[in-house]
Amino acid sequence: MAGIGFEIRKILERDSYWSVLRAYGYAGVVSGGPWALSILSIMMIGILAVMLGVAQREVNAFQICVTYLMAASLIWSGGMQLMFTRFVADRAYAGEQAEVLPNLFGALIITMGGGFALFAPPIFWLFDGPFFQQLLLLTNFVVLSGLWIALIFLSGMKAYRRIVWTLAKGYTIGIIVALAASAWALNGLLLGVLAGHGYLLFSFLHHIVREYPGNSLLKLDFLDRKRSFYSLFAVGTLYYLAVWVDKFIFWFVPHTSEPVIGPLRASIIYDLPIFLAYLFILPGMAVFLVSMEADFAEQHERFYKAIREGDTLMHIEYRRDRMVYAARQGIYEIFKVQGITVALCLLWGRDLLHAIGISPLYIHLFYIDVVAVSVQVLLMAILNVLFYLDARREVLLITACFFITNLLFTFATLQLGAETFGYGFAASVSLSAFLGLFILSRKFNRLEYETFMLQG
Amino acid sequence: MVEQVKADFLEANLSAARSGERTVADIGLLLEGTYPYIRGGVSSWVHQIISGLPDIRFAVVFIGGESGMYGPAQYQFPPNVTHVETHYLLQGQTNSKPGARRGNARAFEKMEALHAYLRREGEMPGEQLERAFTGLGSPEGISEEDFLYSKASWEYITHQYRRRCTEPSFINYFWAVRAMHAPLFVLARIARELPPVRAIHSISTGYAGFLGAIIQLRRKIPFILTEHGIYTKERKIDLAQATWIRDHNDDVCNTLHDEMGYIRGLWIRFYEQIGRMAYAHASPIVSLYEGNRLRQISDGAEAEKTLVIPNGISVQRYCVALEKRVNEIPPVLGLIGRVVPIKDIKTFIRTLRILANERPDVQGWIVGPEDEDPSYVNECKELVASLGLQNSVKFLGFQNVLEILPQLGLLVLTSISEALPLVILEGFASGVPCLATDVGSCRELIEGRGEEDRGLGAAGSVVFIADPEGTAKAARQLLDNPERWRAAQRAGLERVKRYYDDKLMFSSYRNLYQQALDRDSEGFAELSGAT
Repeated sequence: MAGIGFEIRKILERDSYWSVLRAYGYAGVVSGGPWALSILSIMMIGILAVMLGVAQREVNAFQICVTYLMAASLIWSGGMQLMFTRFVADRAYAGEQAEVLPNLFGALIITMGGGFALFAPPIFWLFDGPFFQQLLLLTNFVVLSGLWIALIFLSGMKAYRRIVWTLAKGYTIGIIVALAASAWALNGLLLGVLAGHGYLLFSFLHHIVREYPGNSLLKLDFLDRKRSFYSLFAVGTLYYLAVWVDKFIFWFVPHTSEPVIGPLRASIIYDLPIFLAYLFILPGMAVFLVSMEADFAEQHERFYKAIREGDTLMHIEYRRDRMVYAARQGIYEIFKVQGITVALCLLWGRDLLHAIGISPLYIHLFYIDVVAVSVQVLLMAILNVLFYLDARREVLLITACFFITNLLFTFATLQLGAETFGYGFAASVSLSAFLGLFILSRKFNRLEYETFMLQG
Repeated sequence: MVEQVKADFLEANLSAARSGERTVADIGLLLEGTYPYIRGGVSSWVHQIISGLPDIRFAVVFIGGESGMYGPAQYQFPPNVTHVETHYLLQGQTNSKPGARRGNARAFEKMEALHAYLRREGEMPGEQLERAFTGLGSPEGISEEDFLYSKASWEYITHQYRRRCTEPSFINYFWAVRAMHAPLFVLARIARELPPVRAIHSISTGYAGFLGAIIQLRRKIPFILTEHGIYTKERKIDLAQATWIRDHNDDVCNTLHDEMGYIRGLWIRFYEQIGRMAYAHASPIVSLYEGNRLRQISDGAEAEKTLVIPNGISVQRYCVALEKRVNEIPPVLGLIGRVVPIKDIKTFIRTLRILANERPDVQGWIVGPEDEDPSYVNECKELVASLGLQNSVKFLGFQNVLEILPQLGLLVLTSISEALPLVILEGFASGVPCLATDVGSCRELIEGRGEEDRGLGAAGSVVFIADPEGTAKAARQLLDNPERWRAAQRAGLERVKRYYDDKLMFSSYRNLYQQALDRDSEGFAELSGAT
């Protein structure tokens, strides 16, 4: 993602507080845009729908449905997202650009078709609502799964501005359609979201097809064992499973949840604080983008350039040190800015909850969730560095650790009682981040050895 | 461990010497890039030796680069070839995936000592170090995986780079070291897995000679070395011109500083060192002529171990050509050889221009294939045209020498490099005196080697390289003076019969092999006595 780094650097070079603020603001919008926009627009649809007279119960059901759709589609497509991104990068490196487009269609068909086949039976079986509602849920899921693939592909093309603009337009369409159809209550709102996401998927694809050459319509080369990395598939799937597993546990354990619609359940005590907390990682994400994609990516490129172009060993080591410094600096910056965010939340959290009308009973869970999601940004940064170093085995280990500990620790907190809720997730993500740091440090220490001696 | 090594040696020798059935052959021939896949002087010689000694059983061990570089075998094996192995040095034996490993740090320490010895000229490493070297590719020493993937190996390579490499590019150094050493592990495996033979005979230094040294060390069986050209010298010439090695010379300071790059030097030292290793363990060390013997000594071979066995031809075969000769001396100068720059055909053509001025009847024939270097062939033909020699110089292409030799008055070799050109011997046997440049063994062939040989007289004249006037003058002296010409013819005939008959070569090698096989049995007796 060197492109974004370059753009940010241009802004930073103007050398004023205003330009620094603008650079980070821009980075924040680019990095946090997709999820911030989606959370905000779902909330907006809810609020506006209530104002238009839709029953609160229907709006709750709508929000729960969308949450489940997001979770399920991310977990379902997470593996393909990573595996396919790598495939695209390798093809680009090999100068086989024309291979990309047909394979993108292949990936979309497998993800969307597979999603349809896999999720149609449970939806029709378990939901007792009208057929139209079942169909809406299923189409929403299929479109979202495809959308994630298109989105990560477009991120790979560094079309950040375009992504943010398209997202803004798409969610505006979603809100308008949802409100226009709000007379049909839940179905109308789901139709609105479908319209928005459908617009996003097709306009992303429109952009991709226009930009990329293609020599045939459909290919499935990315499934070829020799050209792909199934370990990346596992990493993507495990990462999203890890992120969601504690939520699912809270949704399905009887004494922390209640049924909402069909088989879907929600956990009022657990959900609100965590989704609120996720809004507070925006500063960390902005720093992540600037320090990782701009500074670290540049040092990383220089390190490998020094190797390729025949520099001395001493210079290669110097470049390695610079790269390690950039990574360390990036992690430290994220740590600082999220630390400040956590401190501010501790200071004003009570007032904040009060202002948006959430019971102060949630405050401790909110505190620990803000800490946990802040550490999650660190974990993402560490994983990102490891991806740059092509440490696939190590990343798999860390995401597996994240998933398993989140599962175990969350069950443990259920045993320990309500005052420990949230600590399971926090402990799991912290442990994984520490493991990540440890592995990263070891990896950096052995980098030249591994680069030279263990390739191929 | 020492016990184990000793037991290995004993086992190898016992099985080798106890009975003929346990060994697959008497002599293991180590052949690098020649017989049976590539045609050429050395390959014909090998085939000649095997066919000429039918009672000795041979194992053919071919070492090549990559399997794709060679076609089918070019020779039909005589029945006394009882074992054949083909190996490729550039195809590593491990298919294992790279995996981090610590590596045997002590083995690398020993390697450091071995490298230090190798860097110093002269004295060879003692037994302790030899073990480090024979342990190559085995778990006790440095295994191939250790060399390729281990941390210890990485430490060693970077340490050496920091201490010695004067060239900036680490990646070039790294790959040079890898490329240089990877074949050694293939050789170590060949040495380990070669079925028992009673003695080994390498037909060059280089990798084959190095393999001979490892086998000799591991099995304590006799190791004979024959060199046709001087491998190390040829490699140096190749390497000096190799474009795959990039010297790190700035364009700016090229004129001030045009030393050879470190990596080029590293390769050259590598071949020097493996050559020295072969010389240290081989006995005897055979060359084709005196000049090469001296060269071997200056490259590190012990003088006492060296000896000369020239190539021979079947003199009888050329009687036909001799009988066909007419009484007069034909005014024809013949150059028999490929039309390539190393033969310096142009000097031959210029010589004829000078001769044509004085004796217009003199003809010049260029006999040999023209497909190797078409642009050079063209240049030669244009030179003939521009000198107006179309009537006196002919390009005959490849011909049967038995047909051509009787029609020649003089055989001419204007080459800038030769070893022991058989064509001179063939000319002698057919009654043709020779004019040749002073390269390789040409002077020995024409003027004789040693008192007795020289007493036979000159079988022609030796001339300078690229000297048309001198060559023309020498040609006139022979052609214009029938007495002298006939004396030269007699000397040539006598010399080839007395010293260069292939029967002599066969009996020399039969003796060498016999001595080696006797030594092997003695070694067995000693070893079994010691137990």
